[in-house]
Amino acid sequence: MSGSIEVENLSKVFKVRVRAAGLGAAMRQLFSAPTRDAVAVDGLSFTIEKGERVAFVGPNGAGKSTTLKMLTGILHPTGGDARVLGHVPWRDRTRLAYRIGTVFGQRTQLWYHLPAADTFALLARIYDQDRAVHQRRLSALVDAFGVGPLLDKPVRQLSLGERMRCELVASLLHGPEVLFLDEPTIGLDVTAKAVIRDLIRDTSLQDGSTVLLTSHDTGDMERVCDRVLVIHRGRLLLDEPIAALRKNYIRRKVVTLLTAEEHVTVDLPGVTLVEKAPHRTVLEVDVDLTPIEQVVQAALQASRLRDLTVEDPPMEEIVQAIYASAEAQP
Amino acid sequence: MRYVAVASVAARQTLSARGAIVARAAFYVVVLLIFSRLWGAMSGFISAAEFLWYLALTEWTTLAMPHFYVGIEEDVRRGDIAYRLARPVSYFWAKFAEGMGEVLVRLVVLAPVGLVAAWGFAGGLPADPRGLLLAVPLALLAAAVLVLIQIAIGLSAFWFQDASPSHWIVQKLLFVFGGLFIPLDIYPEWMQTIAHCTPFAPLVYGVGRSAFGFDPAAAAQTALLIVAWGVVLLGLVGWLYRRSLEVLNVNGG
Repeated sequence: MSGSIEVENLSKVFKVRVRAAGLGAAMRQLFSAPTRDAVAVDGLSFTIEKGERVAFVGPNGAGKSTTLKMLTGILHPTGGDARVLGHVPWRDRTRLAYRIGTVFGQRTQLWYHLPAADTFALLARIYDQDRAVHQRRLSALVDAFGVGPLLDKPVRQLSLGERMRCELVASLLHGPEVLFLDEPTIGLDVTAKAVIRDLIRDTSLQDGSTVLLTSHDTGDMERVCDRVLVIHRGRLLLDEPIAALRKNYIRRKVVTLLTAEEHVTVDLPGVTLVEKAPHRTVLEVDVDLTPIEQVVQAALQASRLRDLTVEDPPMEEIVQAIYASAEAQP
Repeated sequence: MRYVAVASVAARQTLSARGAIVARAAFYVVVLLIFSRLWGAMSGFISAAEFLWYLALTEWTTLAMPHFYVGIEEDVRRGDIAYRLARPVSYFWAKFAEGMGEVLVRLVVLAPVGLVAAWGFAGGLPADPRGLLLAVPLALLAAAVLVLIQIAIGLSAFWFQDASPSHWIVQKLLFVFGGLFIPLDIYPEWMQTIAHCTPFAPLVYGVGRSAFGFDPAAAAQTALLIVAWGVVLLGLVGWLYRRSLEVLNVNGG
């Protein structure tokens, strides 16, 4: 094992209490409460090299958070093995904690009624950081994240986007080598999301830190990561570079034609009209039936083209298609 | 029929909190017993002024305690505890420190308020006001043990999802066996024996009785008892914390 994060056949089974319906059953359960096994992670294996930025995506209940909890040492696996920076996380949690950072979108580590500066000072103590090193690191992060004017404001007065920038500073202060991010842009507006994504990516590029990011927002995946792991029902469905994901899973393209003619018709197999407006025609093309070049040629023959764009469907649809194909499997 | 169904669901929910049902029944009996003895015993035992100073000290100790368990309960219910564990500090000791920080501020703020109010309402200081000085270290020690109890209450959310029934039970035990409103001396003897076997007596009554006079030997004995209970509770709460982490691991929190 030599990567930043190495996972081999990792699994986790929880005991879930079964609550039967009915008053009689409730009376019986006063004395004994039956449980059932729930498989959260089922034989997961992957390796992430130093400096890689990897998206860990899957529908709700797929096992993403459970995996993250095992990799940060909070949960013990039922089976398998994992190493983060050479540490077995659940055996060496405290030592590992000094070398990793965590950001959990819906949870805060900032003291709500105090200015963020107070939390930063406390974290320096928690991570045994030398005062000079802390000051140097803090001022660099404050500049990079533009949180200077926010430092003395109580956290409760910050917007969600401002708070999230401060959360990131808090998680990066001790110079983590691996950053675990769980839904870091949840609830943010479009502008704030873009800022946070750029900051995560830039920091990783600058520090050489490894990033493992879970998100339901495929924008996070596309803007921050180079590789994606798709997980479903605790199993790894796909492990590919983002670019390969697009290439391998895109069977449709969206072609927009701007023409001198008011209307244009392209009659080819697998080509359907999506939108029709004067001088503007939007087509969806099934590339398995008709290659894009053929559609362009047909459009050129049928009209005087002023402009043409060919787009992939949104990443959201691609990921949904991957989940759907997994659902279809027994 | 709709309302019968609603009542049936409510009954099932109540039945799911086993501990609370038993404790509520037991508390009902105890309260009836105490108040049946109270009115006869009150007259002539202590003066109204002594009673007020006693109450000022017991309330000072208990009112200084924030509802600290709520934060722990929220950490457990929302799953935040898992994320707080990914830090190089113990969640247990961090919470203890946080609780002590809060309680110390409250003790300092409430002390002059209680002093002035009790002085005003009682019409003067206790017969031997030096006893009040002995209450200060005792209250500090009691606060540390009460923080441990609050942590235990918060951690009970791992099993019951809702820590408020546990808080309710402990609050009533504190009230009854601590002698929050009434000095233990006026309880029937067998109840005094039971009360003195619990940690609540030194934590509340032990601090409050400083109002009755300057007795360094009694204060030292109370301090020893509080420390002894602190050690026992530290062991118990530490065990509970380790069990909580096991529950998190087995049930997913």
